[in-house]
This record gives sequence, C-alpha cells and structure tokens, in this order.
Amino acid sequence: MLLSFSEKQIGALLPAFLHIDKQLNISAMGPGILRHLPHVRVGMPCAEAFTIVNYDTTQFFQEGVNVQPVSLIARDSDLHLNGAAIFHEAGCLLAVRFAITEEMFADSSMDLSDFGHADPVILSTMLIVLQRAMLEESQANAIELAHERQRSAELLERTSRVAGYMAHDFNNLLSVIRLNTDRLSRQFGKDEKIGKLAEIIQEMAARGSEITQSLMTLSLQRTDTRQPLSVDQVIQDNMGILDSVVGSNITLKLNLDADGHKSVVSYSDFLNALINLLINAREAMPMGGQIALSSSVGFGLIKGDGDADADVTQSGSYIAIQIADTGVGMSDALLSRAFEPQFSSKPNGTGLGLASVRNFAVEMGGDVWLESVEGKGSTAYLHLPVARTVAPLVAAGSGAPNTGAPAVLDKQRILLVEDEPYALEALVEMLEAEGYAVTACSSGEEALIALGQDAYDVLLTDVVMPGQNGTEVARDACIVQPSMKVILMSGYVPDSAAFQPGWLFLHKPIESAKLLQLIAA
Amino acid sequence: MYGMIHRAMRQMVHEELGEEAWLALEQKLEIGPTELLTGMVYDDALTLEIVAEAAARLNLSVDQTLEAFGQYWVRFAGQGSLSSIMKFTGQNLASFIANLDRLHLAVGAAMPGARLPAFTTLESAPGHLVVEYRSDRVGMEPFVKGLLQGLMDRFHACGEIAVVHRGEKSILFDIRYQDKD
Ligand code: HEM
Repeated sequence: MLLSFSEKQIGALLPAFLHIDKQLNISAMGPGILRHLPHVRVGMPCAEAFTIVNYDTTQFFQEGVNVQPVSLIARDSDLHLNGAAIFHEAGCLLAVRFAITEEMFADSSMDLSDFGHADPVILSTMLIVLQRAMLEESQANAIELAHERQRSAELLERTSRVAGYMAHDFNNLLSVIRLNTDRLSRQFGKDEKIGKLAEIIQEMAARGSEITQSLMTLSLQRTDTRQPLSVDQVIQDNMGILDSVVGSNITLKLNLDADGHKSVVSYSDFLNALINLLINAREAMPMGGQIALSSSVGFGLIKGDGDADADVTQSGSYIAIQIADTGVGMSDALLSRAFEPQFSSKPNGTGLGLASVRNFAVEMGGDVWLESVEGKGSTAYLHLPVARTVAPLVAAGSGAPNTGAPAVLDKQRILLVEDEPYALEALVEMLEAEGYAVTACSSGEEALIALGQDAYDVLLTDVVMPGQNGTEVARDACIVQPSMKVILMSGYVPDSAAFQPGWLFLHKPIESAKLLQLIAA
Repeated sequence: MYGMIHRAMRQMVHEELGEEAWLALEQKLEIGPTELLTGMVYDDALTLEIVAEAAARLNLSVDQTLEAFGQYWVRFAGQGSLSSIMKFTGQNLASFIANLDRLHLAVGAAMPGARLPAFTTLESAPGHLVVEYRSDRVGMEPFVKGLLQGLMDRFHACGEIAVVHRGEKSILFDIRYQDKD
C-alpha cells in the first residue's frame, strides 16, 4: 500500500466516514457519526443503523468493485450521507459526508467540525450565506446613500431659497436706490456736485448688483431679460461663435429671411438653443458636410404636426428656423427619443442638449422637432412665436432719459404694480417724466380693480408681492385685456411663478434706460 | 478594513451612546454613508480614526474601546444574517476557536481584500485552551482579547484570558474557563 492513514487522520478528512467489514458489520467510524448518531457502535451490522439507498445490502460486496457512488440514510433519524464506497480486500471504506442544505445551516446541530477541511460544499454554502449577509447590508447602504443625497439636496434647496429671498430683498433696495438716483440726476444733475454724488451712488449700486448676481447664481435664478429680439439679428451678430461650433470641415450656409421679425426670448437661451441644434447637426457629420441655417416667417400652427397638444391658441405668426445637415440621418426610433432628457445616441453625449432646446422652445410658446431621411440628413425645425407689437401711440421712450420733452401724440397707458412704496414712487415719476400715463397700484388686488375699470397698453408689475402676486395679476390681465403688453420685473423669481410665452421680463435692480427700452419695444 | 467592520462599530456606538453621538462622530471625521459601505476596503488608518473618535466619546482609551468592540463584534455577528454562519462555526468555545480559520477562509473568499488573522489551538483541555493568534497587523491584541471574551460570553463561560507570550507576528493567549450552566 502506498499510503496508510490512521482512523483519526481519516476522521479529520472525513468526519462522517464508516468502514464495514466483509460481514457487513461496522468496523470503524468517524467522530461525526459518534457525535450525531450516538447509538451507532463499532461491531453493529451496518443494515441495523443505515439503509444503503443504491445497493441491495445482501449483494453489497458482489455488486461493488473499486470505487462507486454511495448514498446512506440513518435509520433512526433523517440524516443523509453520501460520497464514495471504496472497496478493498478487508471490506469497504464508506467515504461519505453528511448531506447538508443551506436551510439546515441555521438550525442543525452540526457545525464545521462535522465536515472535512476541504469540503467544497461547505465552503460554497458559507460563501453564499456571507454574500447574502453582505447583500442585505448593501441594500441598507443604498438606502443610507439615497437618504444622504436627499439630505444634501434639501440643504442645497434651502440654501438656494434663502439666497433667493436675500437677493430679492437686496435687489428691491438697490432698485429704489437706482431709480431715485436717476431721479436726482434728472432733477438736480446740472449741479456738478450733485451730479458727481449721484454718479458715485449709481456706481456703488452697480457693485451691489454684482453681489446679488452671485446670490442669484447660487439660487439658480434666471437673471436674463426676456425681450423681443430680432432672430436674424442675433444670428448675424453671433456668426463667429456659430461658425466655430460647427468646426472647420463643415460649411455653414445662411439664408435669413425672417425680415427683422422679433420673438420674445432671453438672448442667451436663444443662442444656447441654436448652438445645441448646430452641435446635433455637426455630430451627424463626423466626416464633414454642410449645414444650412435658414429663417423665415410663417403663419398657422406653431407646433410640429405630430403634437396632439397643439391647440388653436398656438396658431399665429411664427418665426421658423431650420437647421438642415447632410449627415447620416436618424432612424425613426432615434428620432422619437431625440428630445428626451438623458437620452443620447452618442457614446459621450449627455443627452441634455436637445432636451434643453425643447424646454426653451416650449417655454417661449414655440416648438422644436426633427425630421430625417436615413443616409441623407436631418433637419431641425425651431418655431418661435412672433412678438406682438403694440402700436406705439406715443413717440416716447427714446431710451435715454433727459432727451428733452417727449413728443406725446397720445399717452400710452401703463398699469404699474409695485408693493415697495419708494420704488413705486420713483417709477411713477420717471415714467410720467417720459410721457406715459401711469396708474400706480401698491398691490395685486388694487391692480385687478384698476383692470376692471380702465384699458391699458402695458402692465408693468413686480412678481413677488404679498397677496395677489405679479404672475397672477398678469394672467388675469391677459384674459381681461388680451392685447396688453406684460412686463414683469423682479429680483427673485420663485419656481412656482410660471411665465407665459410673450411676457417680457426685466431683472431687478431696474435700470431706467433698459425699462424704457422694453416698454417701447 | 472592510466597511462591514465600520458598520458594526457604528452599531456599537448607537447602542452605547445613541444615534446623535454617531452623527457627531461622523461630522467630526467628515465621514458619512460612503465610509460605511459593507463591501468596500478602507485604509486601516480610517478604521482606527473611527475607533479613536468613538473612544473619546465613550470615555475609554483606544485599547479599551478595541477590546469592547471585539466583545461587541461577537454579539453583532451572532445576530441577523451572520448568525447562522456563527452558529455553524462551532457550538462550544474549543470547537469554535478551532474552526475560526475555516470561517475566515470563507470570509476571504467573499471579501477578497480582507487581511485575515490565523488562530491555532496549541493546547486544549477541559476548561483550558492555549491559542496562538497570528496577523500581519499590529496593535490588535486588545481587540482579540475582547473577541475571545465575547466568545466566552457566547458560550456562557466565565474565566480569565491572559497573554502569555508576545512574538513579532503572534500572540499566545491562555484561556481558563468554566461553563456557567
Ligand atoms: C461571521 C463572522 C465573522 C466575519 C464575517 C468576520 C469577518 C472579518 C473581516 C471582514 C475582517 C477584516 C479584515 C480586513 O478588512 O482586512 C475580520 C478581521 C478579524 N477577525 Fe473576523 N469575522 C468574523 C468572526 C470573527 C470571530 C468570531 C473572531 C474571533 C476571534 C474573529 C477574529 C478576527 C480578527 C482578530 C480580525 C482582525 C484581523 C487582523 O488581526 O489582522 N472574526 N474578520
């Protein structure tokens, strides 16, 4: 024999082993059997203690040769053992182990000592139990991380809200300072000393304004003026940027024919939308090609035809901007998802570009969509409503104060709503000096009464006010007097304040010149 | 060490001092849920910082805290989803200690970055064990003492644990105990 092991050694490897002699009596056994089947004794007939499942016991030594699989069940318990029967001259070594399932792990009276050191089933069962425990903890981890994220998001939101309120109050103060300094220069500016002092105050107010600008950025506030802009003009003024966006191997062809028509947009949002559409077109032409950027004026439904939301109020004059590329085109599947946030067909795209264009277009009362022929190219259509023009009844508002007496033909009527009394007073004085007929209200409620009594050309209102706020007043005003021009002004725009397309917006602190320009636009 | 250990430490501080105390500890160390990820390996320095900060709050020395944590760990692992594996490791003190390496063998397979200890029973008689602990870490003696104490608690035994030899990478523990019931 090459190797010989003691019973103890075999017991260490196979704690549940059994040895039976040719008479089928148990002649040796491992410590596991002793522990868990104490009634089993050396010398006992094997059949008295175990059923050998896969053998006829009487034929055991006739049937078995060399090494064969074997399965036993203990007679007095439901313990199962399996392994190999190793036949030799003196009898048979039953190299078996207790069959144990994961469920038995927790409530069995067995432990690791009942299994061999290299028992792979035990190792893998323990591994599974451990991994399950880790998985459970990981689920708890995930929940904790989500809570943490929510906590930071809430903190950020609180901070930004506080920053927003602070900016609001501060901007209101700055507005009063600015407007009243304008008043000072208008009335006493000829006195050099007063003029100089007014200039210093203006400069300081401008610096204060820069501080509020950072607060606004922190509170993710819009600070851009919404005003009627000539689409063609903006494109022409920015050709340098647009050319560099498309890159040198793509030619950008212009065909602008919107004829100076204006749309109410924020300058930077509009430019961003154009840039995103150009990037989208450029990405479709990695090998170069041509992009045609054109504009025209149309009349009819502003929304793309596929849109079920399109309603009659959405029809009117619109500026149609088209960006057509000669790229690879898009499949219908891609087209249908192109504007979804976080959707990108490009490996390193963020999927935010086109989604932001759609947000912009919809917010402005327009629409954007893509059409494409695979292999030929795609065209993006951006439609924006043409800004309503209020027929100027007055040749006022040269934009620069103090240009002499305005040539008033018939006074344009402004309904002014502002809850800050000093700002109200200064605005009234400035606008009247410019030749407007001003009805001043110090609350939304007052304004609604005024709206019921008289007709106005322009509603100029603060946004954040106690009681009826500016957007509510503007909404009602548009219903009562639909032709009215709406200009909102605020140092802080709460998320809840939804602006309607076409409303103009001026950020506080108010610059008189900018305000006059908007009224006249 | 693995984040699992940090989580147990947190649980101990929760139980001893309450949730607020743990949050204050997190704030002091500028840590949070990202330092408590079960399956993540952290530098031992961070684990020790947590222990030291917990010690300050528990009004204990670092060694006393390590020992308390060792004792706590056995209770922690004895509950919840690790309980079955603890039970399976051994059903009396001597066999549990004899099988610890096999337990950690499975731990090593589930947590590949773990640096695990080795325990060898050098002498075993009723009520008396001499156990050699080996590790490539230093400074863990109080932790191991606490663990062994925790195991005695687990098996309702009482007795004395003494260090009888300190080698470069190994420590010999002499355990004399009696079963309480
Ligand atoms: C289910 C139970 C157990 C699990 C899952 C477990 C797991 C672990 C893990 C993850 C580590 C850290 C290794 C690293 O991150 O580098 C560790 C370390 C350690 N474990 Fe366990 N363990 C368990 C039970 C025990 C018990 C009962 C003892 C009792 C003596 C023990 C003694 C130790 C020691 C002393 C260390 C420190 C390592 C060193 O000295 O280097 N463990 N164990």
